Amino acid sequence: MSALLEIENLRVAFNTRHGEVTALDSVSLTVNAGETLGVVGESGCGKSITALSVMGLIPSPPGRIAGGAIRLAGEDLTRVSEARMRALRGAELAMIFQEPMTSLNPVFTVGDQIAEAIMLHQKVGHAQAFRDAVALLDRVGIPSPDRRARDYPHQLSGGMRQRVMIAMAVSCRPRVLIADEPTTALDVTVQAQIFDLLNEIQRDFGAAIILITHDMGAISEMADRVAVMYAGRVIEEADADDVLDHPQHPYTRGLISCIPALGKGDTELREIPGVVPPLHRLGAGCAFAERCAHRNGRCDSGKPLLVNHGHHPAACHAVQEGRI
Amino acid sequence: MSASFLFRRLVYGLVLMLGVVVLNFILIRLAPGDPAVVIAGEMGGGDAALLDAIRAQYGLDKPLLTQLGIYLGSILQGDLGQSFFFNQPVATLIGNRIGPTILLVLSAQVLSILLGVFLGVIAARKPNGVLSGVVSVVATVGYAVPVFWTGIMLIILFASVFPIFPVEGMQSVRLRDAGLWVRSVDIAHHLVLPAFTLALIYLAQYARLSRASMLDVLGSDYIRTARAKGAPEHSILFKHALRNASLPILTVAGLQFGNLISGALLVETVFNWPGMGRLAFESILRRDYPTVLGVLFFASAMVVVANLLTDLSYRLADPRLRGKT
Ligand SMILES: Nc1ncnc2c1ncn2[C@@H]1O[C@H](COP(=O)(O)OP(=O)(O)OP(=O)(O)O)[C@@H](O)[C@H]1O
Ligand code: SF4
Ligand SMILES: [Mg+2]
Repeated sequence: MSALLEIENLRVAFNTRHGEVTALDSVSLTVNAGETLGVVGESGCGKSITALSVMGLIPSPPGRIAGGAIRLAGEDLTRVSEARMRALRGAELAMIFQEPMTSLNPVFTVGDQIAEAIMLHQKVGHAQAFRDAVALLDRVGIPSPDRRARDYPHQLSGGMRQRVMIAMAVSCRPRVLIADEPTTALDVTVQAQIFDLLNEIQRDFGAAIILITHDMGAISEMADRVAVMYAGRVIEEADADDVLDHPQHPYTRGLISCIPALGKGDTELREIPGVVPPLHRLGAGCAFAERCAHRNGRCDSGKPLLVNHGHHPAACHAVQEGRI
Repeated sequence: MSASFLFRRLVYGLVLMLGVVVLNFILIRLAPGDPAVVIAGEMGGGDAALLDAIRAQYGLDKPLLTQLGIYLGSILQGDLGQSFFFNQPVATLIGNRIGPTILLVLSAQVLSILLGVFLGVIAARKPNGVLSGVVSVVATVGYAVPVFWTGIMLIILFASVFPIFPVEGMQSVRLRDAGLWVRSVDIAHHLVLPAFTLALIYLAQYARLSRASMLDVLGSDYIRTARAKGAPEHSILFKHALRNASLPILTVAGLQFGNLISGALLVETVFNWPGMGRLAFESILRRDYPTVLGVLFFASAMVVVANLLTDLSYRLADPRLRGKT
């Protein structure tokens, strides 16, 4: 049986003042119903662009899907009409964004905003949709939901707003729920609550979740499988436990050693030295080379492919050669 | 919307009006020219004794501050004084003319906002498209060209080339005694060119402003959220974005109202529209102080009311401002 959502060799290009750059290159991912796929990587590696591609929301211009396929239950979303895509968005595909403070419209009540999502996809009137919205607010743990539904976003805290976003996202029981760094803007205790909520929602609604984060800790708690991205490519992919316990790619190893609790004893928060190269300066070789301790001549001349060299797939020459 | 907010704005408006009255009074006295000379001129000329008599009759011989005091006192009793020229109460003169002016100003305001915002929204949809370019050009031209030029061009065009709109006055003489409906249509027909002339400058500004404001709003996160829900494009534009983009438009609409009124006075002169414009123009030439002051008084009152309405609509449009003072 094929997966619920399959991204195959996706390529996304942006027109910039440096010419056309490739923001995503040969990205392939799959998610099954009821499963949580974690997508990790540093800022700018293409996590949000991957998510927006699935939603059909790549800002265009300057961006475009330049190749590959995104199949939802076999239907290629890169080829469907805008009308079809609109019908899927919010109904089958839903997304929670990184910025709870600005993702709700300031001039409408939160109840109305959730009700709108319901009315766009179900044949119900406003009164019924609003009642459903109140029930959803209750479901996502917002106290006195009747009153809160009549509040405007600015009257709610960041955590509350993210709960509203979640309520809106699950209002039509989507099959795929993308959570793009849903907790980055929130404080730590609220983060844990939001993750608990996402877990419950998944249990109740059976949605496939794509959880985007740069927090390995969140991955270890939430994800069944993990894809690690770097400079627009997936560089390692496996079950969450495998990636956490046996990271292959030097970048993944670096990421994991940066988590104090999982690292080798030291509690000091570390970072991988160096920065992600800008897209227009990606050369023919491995994009991680400049920051890599295992780099050799091959790394500069050819891009490593995502292949299983033993434990699980990783895109690294050193892993392939058995040097690490 | 709290009652105390309304009350405070009203008091503020009244204080502002008082300041405006005093300032107008002083400014007009600082301007050169002597009404007694003009009045004497109308009577066929006169000697120093006649001038003194005229000054005494109109209270112009008293010290300036005393005159101001008398003027303020009578305004508080609702009396704007007697016109030097018409020998009628200023209030009556203005009362006969304020209706057409308000009609012209409001039509131009509504026309420029509706049309300008609509063009701006459409242009914002495709910021690099043809329509967007047209709006920018029209906006620049409309802004640069003086109203009387637009007015005269329209008069030439419609008087001789396409005689479909009347270019003069507010009513057709032969329809003066027709039914209400026929007369309304007749007035609306006469209103087209003056209102359009007046609207054109502001229309262009609203188009440009709402295009910029919409482009700004369309890039925001909540618009992406609306798209992620599956909202159709017209709802994205006119529901989700426009409501947010309307705040700067409202601000400018409020600020422009004063300019619109002074523009209206010009347009009235060009199209012979029977409003306060001609009255103001002629009264200034005649040094008819009470009438000039009366016109300024009503014009300022309209601006103050417009600003109050702007404040109120601001609060309606943006819930974040409600409950604030
Ligand atoms: N509108 C755009 N124009 C040009 N390039 C863009 C645009 N949007 C994104 N990119 C490029 O695509 C790359 C991936 O961006 P993306 O937003 O997916 O990163 P991310 O992994 O989500 O990072 P973060 O953790 O900061 O959210 C970035 O390097 C960025 O330069
Ligand atoms: S391919 Fe080479 S440079 Fe890239 S991560 Fe592996 S060893 Fe390092
Ligand atoms: Mg992102």
